[in-house]
Amino acid sequence: MKKNLQWKVILTLAVIAGAIILAYPFNDKKIKRGLDLKGGIHLVLQVITDDSINMETDLEISRLEDLLKKNAITFQKVTKEGLGRIAVQGVLADEEGKTRDMFDQYSRDWDYGFAGDRATLTLTPIEAQRLRDQSVDQAKQTIDNRINTYGVAEPLIQKQGRDKIVVELPGIDDPERVKELIKVTAVLEWKLVKAGPADNEATLLEATNGQVPDDAEILRGDPKKGQGGFYLVNKVSVITGKDLRTIRLTQDEWNNPAVSFTLNSEGGARFEQVTGDNIGKQIAIILDKKVQSAPTVEDRIQRVAGGVIRLGRGTPQEADDLITVLKAGALPAGIRYLEERTIGPALGADSVRQGLIAGLVAVLAVMIFMVIFYKLSGLNAVFALLLNVLLLFGALAYFKATLTLPGIAGIILAIGMSVDANVLIFERIKEETALGKGIMSSISQGFSRAFTAIFDSNLTTIISAIFLFQFGTGPIRGYAVTLTISLVANLFTAVFVSHLLFDLTVKKTAKKMSI
Amino acid sequence: MQLFKTPNIKFLKYKYIALAVTGVIVLAGILNIAVFKGLKLGVDFGEGSLLRVMMRTPSSEGLIRDLLGSVGLGKSQVQRSGNTGREFQIRAMETVNTKAGEQDQLEAHEALADKIIAALRGEDGRAELARGLVDLNTVDERTLSGLLETAFPGSGPDAARKIVAYRNDTGIIADFQDLAGLGLKPEALAFLKDKTFLGKMTILSRETVGPQVGADLRRKAVQATIWSLIGMLIYIALRFKLEYGVAAIFTLAQDVLITMSLYSFTNREINLPIIAGILTIVGFSTNDTIVIFDRVRENQKTMRGKPLEEVMNISLNQCLGRTIITSGTVFLTVGALFGFGGEVINDFAFLMLIGTIEGVYSTIYLSCPIVLLWQNLFKPKNARRR
Repeated sequence: MKKNLQWKVILTLAVIAGAIILAYPFNDKKIKRGLDLKGGIHLVLQVITDDSINMETDLEISRLEDLLKKNAITFQKVTKEGLGRIAVQGVLADEEGKTRDMFDQYSRDWDYGFAGDRATLTLTPIEAQRLRDQSVDQAKQTIDNRINTYGVAEPLIQKQGRDKIVVELPGIDDPERVKELIKVTAVLEWKLVKAGPADNEATLLEATNGQVPDDAEILRGDPKKGQGGFYLVNKVSVITGKDLRTIRLTQDEWNNPAVSFTLNSEGGARFEQVTGDNIGKQIAIILDKKVQSAPTVEDRIQRVAGGVIRLGRGTPQEADDLITVLKAGALPAGIRYLEERTIGPALGADSVRQGLIAGLVAVLAVMIFMVIFYKLSGLNAVFALLLNVLLLFGALAYFKATLTLPGIAGIILAIGMSVDANVLIFERIKEETALGKGIMSSISQGFSRAFTAIFDSNLTTIISAIFLFQFGTGPIRGYAVTLTISLVANLFTAVFVSHLLFDLTVKKTAKKMSI
Repeated sequence: MQLFKTPNIKFLKYKYIALAVTGVIVLAGILNIAVFKGLKLGVDFGEGSLLRVMMRTPSSEGLIRDLLGSVGLGKSQVQRSGNTGREFQIRAMETVNTKAGEQDQLEAHEALADKIIAALRGEDGRAELARGLVDLNTVDERTLSGLLETAFPGSGPDAARKIVAYRNDTGIIADFQDLAGLGLKPEALAFLKDKTFLGKMTILSRETVGPQVGADLRRKAVQATIWSLIGMLIYIALRFKLEYGVAAIFTLAQDVLITMSLYSFTNREINLPIIAGILTIVGFSTNDTIVIFDRVRENQKTMRGKPLEEVMNISLNQCLGRTIITSGTVFLTVGALFGFGGEVINDFAFLMLIGTIEGVYSTIYLSCPIVLLWQNLFKPKNARRR
């Protein structure tokens, strides 16, 4: 064997060995399957960041009211003018300077201006953006916590763009439950009931002459919990989910699933005092602005005692999920789904099976085709083809790429396209021999002359694959990846290895070759 | 084996006829897209919900359509898939009330999907659910495991895993008797018959894309297409002369237009994989064009004095064997995908089948004639003999 053939053989064997080591034993750990093959859910959700601005605005209003009073500044009222916009009305002209000083000192994140007796405050764009970003990060963290508590193997939770979060959960068999688990805001509040439950708002407000008092709001019962009707409750809550110390699954007196809790010391003290002052009144347990139940306070509730959240006719899963979200904390802002894809495990398994069959049929068909057309040289091409597939799997494992259904289609397509290089070369060799050249020179001429065409054509397909990867989403990226890898590997297998095989097998003295 | 003994087909003799035919096809396609049928955008581009369901017993498209019609969802598209007669694809087509604003459209789509599922289930299972029975065809593994554990401590998780694995494999459990082969204890089977029931259908997949993401994906698809076309053009322009680049522009445009109009004519939906397919066809077609151009350039060096048309004809003939064999192998593999690849990938395979043929045609009868026309228009007669 010639010297330069020796190192070529060694290189080829090393590449083959490397690919086998990388991809063996061809299981799930080595080559990750995408959601479309494994089953699972893919969600794109948007954090309604306006919520956080709204919340900040409300907070600032109550802060301003306190501050104005504290600084003895006369004002009529503080009103919400919109998202991140507040107006203080009825400021006396000679107190304007004092008010300005107060704003300068305490409301640094707000730009303000005066027009007559009216001061307008606007949240600075920088602070608004910071609040928005923060709410997205917090939402992501909260969702992360919830998913972890629920228990999903290999979840993917990623921020996308400014306000979007992508959640991918493989192998979920109860998507509706998980979707609810993620979406529920989980703001838990206890508020004193002023009136209710009533069948409609009119009867609810009879005692207050049809007016909603300034310190109260109307909430509805949660129909899912058999808790219909309207309630008039205090705006200020006694305790909230943040005051919970421990949360546990239990049963109520009718053996329905329920959640029991204990309170931290601060919350416990407040709860003890409020219940003590309000014996005989109702206290509403509110989850996400819906009244879950409104038990009557029968006695002062001791700070250590905690209590029970009744779920009515709920299932154990519902109680479980409530515990999960309460433990993980509330979302800082509402979310809405922008995209939902659920692939059942059965469909994924089916796709893998069909992809495998199609792949095998394709490989066999191409192999038979090549051997019939090019006889022994066809075998050379078949070897190159198989090596190409092997390298592809090795590369997929190495890059930790995800195999998707379009990705499988890409592999199958690449099988058809990769023999193109062999065909170009073989046809060229045939032409060269037809011109009367010797076998060895025909082979080397065939390879070198066909190379530019092979290189160009592979490159054009790779160009489009790169842009597909750039602009595509999950499954399509899988396609771009498998196609690109095969075409790159193709330059090695169909040109380098195939040439080497000819060098090794065709005798120098040969007068004819099997092509 | 030799396909042809030095073929000498005068391909370019028919170039004007071919150009006319191509023009008519492309024009018809554009008219069809712009004026008549338009392009049908799939779920990926924000047009509603797609459900794939499997029924416990064989059904038919007609039956399902009637069922949906009875609840006012008669416009939904129902398509049978697979060959068991139990799998169906349903596309919710009812016009969703957009008054609620863009933000809530996804929820409207979802509600529609829920309505379809409810209609398909019908009364089935309601009595059983009310009695506290669990649907064995939809229950998650954790719950099933818990249920079995209460009756058979220690063997719950194992049995649940086996049952769910069987269900994942077959899609749906048709009969309790099917579970007998899983090595479950007879008591366990009796327990399941007592505590669970077999629901009428399972949902294989459910996809809903809201308008916001849909618009985003649409934009990205267009960007991917335009950028890859630009990329290829630059490459060809660098490698060959200007007129070859111009020819490539027309060829690529034709590839995209013909495949798109084909989709419009056959009423198939355009989804993300289809965009990938179109780009692959464009790549394949460019590939073909490059091989021919490459040969033309090589031949021009050795065949000085021959008119370009003749050189092209010779080149086309020289490469004919390769063209047919390569398209043949790609056609074979894509055919395998079309035949065996399953419903999800079927549309993509269909596109590729057409595309492989179209790509070859566009090289012979669009790329080459355009280069010729360009030379006739802009180069003096004697300059062609370089």
